[in-house]
Amino acid sequence: MGGLTRNKTLSIMALGAMIGLLLLPIVVSMPALAGGGGTPAAGGPPPDVAKKADTPEAAKVEKGRDVYYKTEGIVSGAPAPKTADNPQFYPRYNFESRVLLWFANQQHLYYGSFVLAVPIFCMIIEFMGIISKDKAMAKKYDQLAYDFIKISLTAYSLTAILGGILIFTFLTLYPAFFGYLSSIFRPVMHIYALLFVAESGTIYIYYYGWDRMKEGLLKWIHVSMSVVLNVIGTTLMFLANSWIGFMMSPAGVDEQGRYLGNIWHSIHTALWNPLNVHRLLGNMAFGGGVVAAYAAYRFLASKTDEERAHYDWMGYIAMAIGVAFLIPLPFAGYWLMREVYAYRQQMGITLMGGLLAWLFIIQATMIGILFLSANYYLWQAMGRMRGAEKYQRYIKYMVFVLVCGFLIFITPHTMVMTPTELKAMGGQQHPVLGNYGVMSAKNGGINVIITTTVLSFIWYARGNKVPMVSWARFGNIFMGCFFGMAYINIIWLAIYGYYIPANVRVGLSVPQVATTLSCLFFMTALNLVMLKGAKHSGAIEWGKISVRSQYALIMLATAFTWMMGLMGYIRSSVRLFWHVNEIMRDNSPWAYTHTTGFAANMISFNVLFFWLTILFVFFLATLGVKKAPVEAKVTVPGRVPEPATH
Amino acid sequence: MKLILWAGAIVGAIALVVLLVMVGGLLPPQTIKLVEGYMPMQLLAELAFFVGVFALISYLLKQNGLGIPRFWQGLSFWIFILLYLTYRIYPPIPFSVRALFGTVAMVGVFMWVSGAEEDWKEFKKPILNVLDAVTPFHKALRTFYLIAIPIILWGFSYNSFLPNLDEPIELRTVHPAPPASTKVHGKTFVLQTSSNPYRVSPEGKYDQEYTNTLITEQSMGRLLKPDANPWDPKAEGYLKFVREGGEIFFQNCHFCHGDNLNGRGLHAFAFNPIPANFTDPGTLAQLQETFVFWRVAKGGIGLPREAFPWASVMPPWEQHLTTDEIWKVVLFEYWHTGYYPRTWD
Repeated sequence: MGGLTRNKTLSIMALGAMIGLLLLPIVVSMPALAGGGGTPAAGGPPPDVAKKADTPEAAKVEKGRDVYYKTEGIVSGAPAPKTADNPQFYPRYNFESRVLLWFANQQHLYYGSFVLAVPIFCMIIEFMGIISKDKAMAKKYDQLAYDFIKISLTAYSLTAILGGILIFTFLTLYPAFFGYLSSIFRPVMHIYALLFVAESGTIYIYYYGWDRMKEGLLKWIHVSMSVVLNVIGTTLMFLANSWIGFMMSPAGVDEQGRYLGNIWHSIHTALWNPLNVHRLLGNMAFGGGVVAAYAAYRFLASKTDEERAHYDWMGYIAMAIGVAFLIPLPFAGYWLMREVYAYRQQMGITLMGGLLAWLFIIQATMIGILFLSANYYLWQAMGRMRGAEKYQRYIKYMVFVLVCGFLIFITPHTMVMTPTELKAMGGQQHPVLGNYGVMSAKNGGINVIITTTVLSFIWYARGNKVPMVSWARFGNIFMGCFFGMAYINIIWLAIYGYYIPANVRVGLSVPQVATTLSCLFFMTALNLVMLKGAKHSGAIEWGKISVRSQYALIMLATAFTWMMGLMGYIRSSVRLFWHVNEIMRDNSPWAYTHTTGFAANMISFNVLFFWLTILFVFFLATLGVKKAPVEAKVTVPGRVPEPATH
Repeated sequence: MKLILWAGAIVGAIALVVLLVMVGGLLPPQTIKLVEGYMPMQLLAELAFFVGVFALISYLLKQNGLGIPRFWQGLSFWIFILLYLTYRIYPPIPFSVRALFGTVAMVGVFMWVSGAEEDWKEFKKPILNVLDAVTPFHKALRTFYLIAIPIILWGFSYNSFLPNLDEPIELRTVHPAPPASTKVHGKTFVLQTSSNPYRVSPEGKYDQEYTNTLITEQSMGRLLKPDANPWDPKAEGYLKFVREGGEIFFQNCHFCHGDNLNGRGLHAFAFNPIPANFTDPGTLAQLQETFVFWRVAKGGIGLPREAFPWASVMPPWEQHLTTDEIWKVVLFEYWHTGYYPRTWD
């Protein structure tokens, strides 16, 4: 016991030292940041300003007003370039430069998200392995974490290559814009590069040191390294987010786009934090989906029961992690949209009610598919447990509730119709279904879907168990009432939302979300307590699951990928004809919004390309397999790996 | 208990028959009406009721050795949903939405019949029987499908090649993003921060909460709130401005937007699309008052680029009304519909 405490103390110290060392470049550069990092103007200060520096007027500094923070600052950069449609500002091939950039950007983002998410899984799973008292399970968790990082290593190289391609594409096709952006973010970009080096070093030590650091203190240091890895990875993402945040909601510059010397203002824009949270959760859900698809692919290609059992289990764990982060994702998205509206009303309306509203209907459809797939997978997974039949008979009712929530969630307010249909309907809005087209109903719909997903998870967790606690009957009744009241509350608030002012209605989402999250946290906790010492009606027979479940996992991953492409496109195109919103205008010939059909095709192409290349990555991962993936027994009686939500 | 179950099943079966008779046209389609104001919830409740009825009937038949095979259960339920969407909901839903709902319903049926392994095996059985031609009847059926399916596909292909004389579908942007500011009669209004100068308390200060308490009731009757009659000769302040807005509305707007503000005015059906229905919760209730002010002032011709295909013939009312008159009309529209203007806080 004492040894363990000593080990923990030492590992915490090692962790602290490593974090300190790795964050040293940021600390060192802080004075430069505070001072604005010198003159970040594109290509240095304009010649007339440079000349003035030697004159007596140099003492008289020009001040500007921050477009967002409204603070005054010393002008220390050139205005945003006023571009024109010519090869000087927009060098081009005989092809749409924007589409090339879109492709390069999207592929880099897919891989970037994947390699940022997977180490977080590794950290969680490796830690679960360390704390697991069951040695067979501990070994399985450790092997799983190793499998995960192995996949991400090849993807990591591809991310770096795609990042290089992206920068070259920017430099060669949009030099004026990229020059301006890098003039503002010069110090950030250097820190970004340094962190990337640190990330590379850490990930290689983490991977190659796996076998050497598998015992005692070294194992704790090893798992601490995954923490460091994720701190660096998340910081990298936050820094990259600051650039897109600046493009959408610029700050730290005046009306002409002149830098005012405070880099923190340029980083910490109105949308930076909502973007950070949304992307972090999104990456995790996406990473879980991709790993689950990998497991499904390996499951379907398996030739032995052992392999099937391992990859069935791997798919389940990845799906559980992915869904655990998918559940709060709509709420993070809601916060982001709220901040968008608060920042610029017209930007919010363009997104949700105007030009891009149709894309949100597609997004709603994808979200619905994600939740339906997750539920379907869980119902299928009950099939490998004896005793779960008692819950399977309720599937039809759960389907009904999910489908109703889904239909409300995807019903468009303005419908696609022929003029004849329009006349027959008597207006743009349908008197019945039009009511499902507004936010109040949609909030109700999605919360019903999420609550039902939580219920599916709870039923899955108790599939092969019978609670034996003395208050089991009371607990079940309480749980049933809690869920019943949750549904009533969510639906009632959705209806009530029609009768109150819009600003109050927006606030109603808080109790709705609180209701859903209460079900998630309280009921999961109650379930866990109830299942302590539960009677097992049979072991989980890993590998004995229908192939349909594996296709559901592939569907889940594809829907994640498609939705990520879609949301990236929406987020980017909401700037309309601006490179940097209201600061630097896009004067290229491609400063128009694509049609919905073109955008959908382009997203599909990106998804297809990503999946083809990631299949190659999966294939590479299989080349390195020299031994059977699991040494532990196929079934582990009495042990059910719990979803990460528990 | 058994008696209750049978009673429930009989009531459900009668409801089902009534619905099918309405679908078949033997009874008027709106014999059992969707109650105005409660229609969205009534629709969901009816569907939930029928799910219960189907489950109950299926259970009782199974108990009595007359169980319906899962395949036919799934198929018939899906057909029921399609019929319900097509014939029960009035006015008719556009094909695009029916297709969307029908597809989701099909996915739901698939999830149900394949949720548990036993169900899936039972569901697949008739299909596999046909494919394996287990009896001469199944063999004949298989041969029939072999011939019929290509013909059906050919029919679809043929249809898709026929010239279509319908007007093309347009994805209209009903609420285009407004500009940051708009200039009306030489004065610039910032849409994010401007407010209606007539939405005032008795002290003459801007007060949305006070004026919200005086709008008509939001139920379908839209009754006057007590002591809030704008046509009372003694009405002052906010209510007086509402009356003045109403006068302007009935002199200029009601020909198209209707005297009940539901977009069914005298000339409404001369236009395509017909004018906006302000009583719908998706129009005024979703918008900031300044947005409505901007749309009224600039009309269809002032719509921004992204509002393609600019399908609005509303005149730019700034050419006919003063700024004050436009504000008063907006005030009246919110008062009459019982909705609150959107605010951001």
